[in-house]
Amino acid sequence: MTNDSLEEQREIVEEFVQECTDLIDQLEPSIIEMGNDIKESDFELSEDTRQLINEVFRLFHSIKGGAGFLALGNISTTAHAAENLLDEIRTGSILLNHDHVDLFCKTIDFTREALDLVAANLGDGGMETQAEELTTLLRTAISLKTTASEKPVAKKAAPPKKKNGPPPPPEPVKKEEPVFEFTITPDMVERFTQEADEQLQEVEQGLLKFADNKADPETLGELYRHIHSFKGNCGFMGFGDMEKLSHQMETVLDAIKSEADFGKAKPADPLLSLLDVLKQALGDISQNGKGKIEGVELYIDLLQDLLPEGWGSSKKTTTEKPPRVGEILIDQGVISEETLDQALDIQNKPIGKILIDMGAASEVEVDNALTDQNKKRKPAPSPDLDRTSPTAIKRQDIRVDLDKLDTLINLIGEMVIAENMLVHSPDLKGLELENFQKSAQQMSKLIKELQEVAVTIRMIPVAGLFRRMTRLVHDLSRKSGKKVDLQLFGTETDLDKTVIETITDPLVHLLRNSLDHGVETPDERLKNNKPETGIIKLSASHEEGEVWITLEDDGRGLNRDKIIKKAIASGLIDGDGSDLDDREVSNMIFLPGFSTADKITDVSGRGVGMDVVKQNLAKIDGKIIVDSRPGSGTRTTLRIPLTMAIIDGMLTRVGKSHYIVPILSIKESFRPTPKLITTSPAGDEIVRIREKLYPVIRLHEIHKIEPDSRELSEGILIMLEDGDNTTCLFVDEIMGQQQTVIKGLSEYIGKMGEARGVSGCTILSNGDVCLILDVGSLI
Amino acid sequence: MVAEEKTRDEIDDDIYDEEEDTQKDKYLTFHLAGEDYGIEIRHVTEIIGIQRITEVPDMPEFVKGVINLRGKVIPVMDVRIRFKLPFREYDERTCIVVVDINNTTIGLVVDQVREVADIPEDQVEAPPKSGKKTSSRFIQGLGKKDDEVKIILNVDQLLYDEELEKIGAAIK
Repeated sequence: MTNDSLEEQREIVEEFVQECTDLIDQLEPSIIEMGNDIKESDFELSEDTRQLINEVFRLFHSIKGGAGFLALGNISTTAHAAENLLDEIRTGSILLNHDHVDLFCKTIDFTREALDLVAANLGDGGMETQAEELTTLLRTAISLKTTASEKPVAKKAAPPKKKNGPPPPPEPVKKEEPVFEFTITPDMVERFTQEADEQLQEVEQGLLKFADNKADPETLGELYRHIHSFKGNCGFMGFGDMEKLSHQMETVLDAIKSEADFGKAKPADPLLSLLDVLKQALGDISQNGKGKIEGVELYIDLLQDLLPEGWGSSKKTTTEKPPRVGEILIDQGVISEETLDQALDIQNKPIGKILIDMGAASEVEVDNALTDQNKKRKPAPSPDLDRTSPTAIKRQDIRVDLDKLDTLINLIGEMVIAENMLVHSPDLKGLELENFQKSAQQMSKLIKELQEVAVTIRMIPVAGLFRRMTRLVHDLSRKSGKKVDLQLFGTETDLDKTVIETITDPLVHLLRNSLDHGVETPDERLKNNKPETGIIKLSASHEEGEVWITLEDDGRGLNRDKIIKKAIASGLIDGDGSDLDDREVSNMIFLPGFSTADKITDVSGRGVGMDVVKQNLAKIDGKIIVDSRPGSGTRTTLRIPLTMAIIDGMLTRVGKSHYIVPILSIKESFRPTPKLITTSPAGDEIVRIREKLYPVIRLHEIHKIEPDSRELSEGILIMLEDGDNTTCLFVDEIMGQQQTVIKGLSEYIGKMGEARGVSGCTILSNGDVCLILDVGSLI
Repeated sequence: MVAEEKTRDEIDDDIYDEEEDTQKDKYLTFHLAGEDYGIEIRHVTEIIGIQRITEVPDMPEFVKGVINLRGKVIPVMDVRIRFKLPFREYDERTCIVVVDINNTTIGLVVDQVREVADIPEDQVEAPPKSGKKTSSRFIQGLGKKDDEVKIILNVDQLLYDEELEKIGAAIK
């Protein structure tokens, strides 16, 4: 395919890249998991591994198919080579070893790179050398199979299968069904049905063009490929009837493609009818059916009859058919070809028509007979199915441009402001408006719901992000010779898509740190009475209105003395550091350029990583907390606010200024009596509540504004909580609760100063800008 | 080659003529403490009356705070204080000139907006190199219009200047 025609298919290519990326994301952890099951001596593949191999095989196959379709030769050949190697592995002719796993990983890396290239240039040209290298490696791995099967252990496995060129996927699947039976998850079925539905739609489009004689060879080729992949998928999923039927359709299409002579027969119409049969079967599957097609043999025969002589008979499904009577007669010279054609013409007419022509029956009689026949036929399968049958498959998702989503979410935010302005409009003050209030309430409720939905739209589970980490851990542990088990928890936790993108890098750095500095070598671990294999736990959970991503290892922990020594050496702290608590010390690792590593490895040690972590987290208003116990491990928690552009806020007033305090941080509020207040000699004020003492912060002092009163007993104290810290904020008045749309303070403001204690701003119902307090930085 | 380039230039001219011509050599002039200043019209988005400004803590004195510009929150700078001129109470003639510089939207508080003046290039002179006062850095040139002189401001410098870079470097 030339670049020009690819250009036209930009959309298709983009879709392909997207899908492929998704596939690879799925593929990677499976490969790693596959590798984890490798046992040194015993070759018996476990059922789980067998399933995994099949999964990987299928994914590579899909990549190959897609790439092949788009003429992305480099991707498709490598995927193909990987697929071949996997095929050998699953049949048992090749022992799965770590080198293979590495090879597959490399293939994935290559494919990723190539996909980037495709996304940019619409082609994968320029990667030929890499593709060739990989393919050679993969082929070498296959060619080693003889040596592998000579080993006695491998004898147990199935005998090596002869293989010539690209294997049509359904064939091995079918033949080896008993060898690697595996459970098909509902998830897989759903994906299959969606994909299949798309394929069938493509086929339908192609067939319709063909029926109108508008099909060029390219359309036919596409048509053929679609039905071929459909067949493959059916075979893989074990829907035998559908596979058989689509195989026969494929044969017919092959004949069409090769411009075989169909004589007077018109293959398009029966193909379309049979397509409907497939669709119905597919619909059946989506309704948890088995996808059985009644009378499938009949349909296959019907198609076989369509085929010109010599077609299909060589294919596996059909038995050699004896030549037809007409042809024998011609051969014997009894009739001429012309006579046969005429006879066939007659034969092609419905029997009723012939009877009428012969005068044996009247038209009315035949009509009646036909009606009767139709009635009787009803329960039997009919290819002419209602296209709007209720079992039609509907797609459950849709791809939407992120910009569009953002616009929508912004608009909803504006709507909340507008609603606030409307309901609290000064024109309505003092009016008794019962009906208005009712409608206003109804609207507020709806808008709140709308907000909640809008927020969830951008959320995706962290599973994908976590899965990527498995690969990292695999590579790093192989490189460093450390044994690590990565355990994932809470993968179903949803996070905003951009947040996930922002924390990817930090997570990578933290994981590297854990592996490089935290987890010890197996020898060292054994010496310290720890299990040889280190455990790294990666978890996500909802806590206190935030999402916490926690990374915990059972390694050696942070070295307090080393950090303090380094900090003193770099002039970061005065004194000997003995007055710092553990947490303060731990968090020093986030200072730029700070590294205690004695030597810089290629994994970490330059002191850049933790700075990246901190900066990226700051971008999304997240916080990092490090807890470390020497000798028993380190826990790093990333606390990420749910990117709710809208929060519940409490509007408060100090003098003429208004502030929004996030309700989530408020524990209680009260007017203190002078008795509760103690002032220390240093001037710090302390308030006593239920036998506990809390410090008092005066907002007017921090923001240098004139309050109504400086007497604590004349204002209100709001008790705020942030993590382990609790403090009381002194304000003049609490005005009430309200939905607050968070707007960023201008970037310019950010450059001019730090705006302490302020996280953003919002617009009040009177149009004024109001600052939102950042409880964390106030305390 | 030469012929080809010419045609392309001509086409470009056709496309940009209108915009260039309407904005070239045009300056929005405003009054500030007895002097007239001008900023290139292409920077100016709109002019609004003074409105309630919400103060933001920890800002340099000349950053007065933020305002709500039709749902968009933009910072506001008092140009008087920027030039270290004495503060003057805002009145009904005080205006906020909203400018857009390198995608930063900011409001400039000025005493009074005058007019859009046409000052041809040959009437603009380089600023005298006294360099005593900090404010001289903000001057891009001096425009002669009839018998008056308009001080043409370098808006980029107005927003970010060496002073800030120094602070920025210190933080880093």
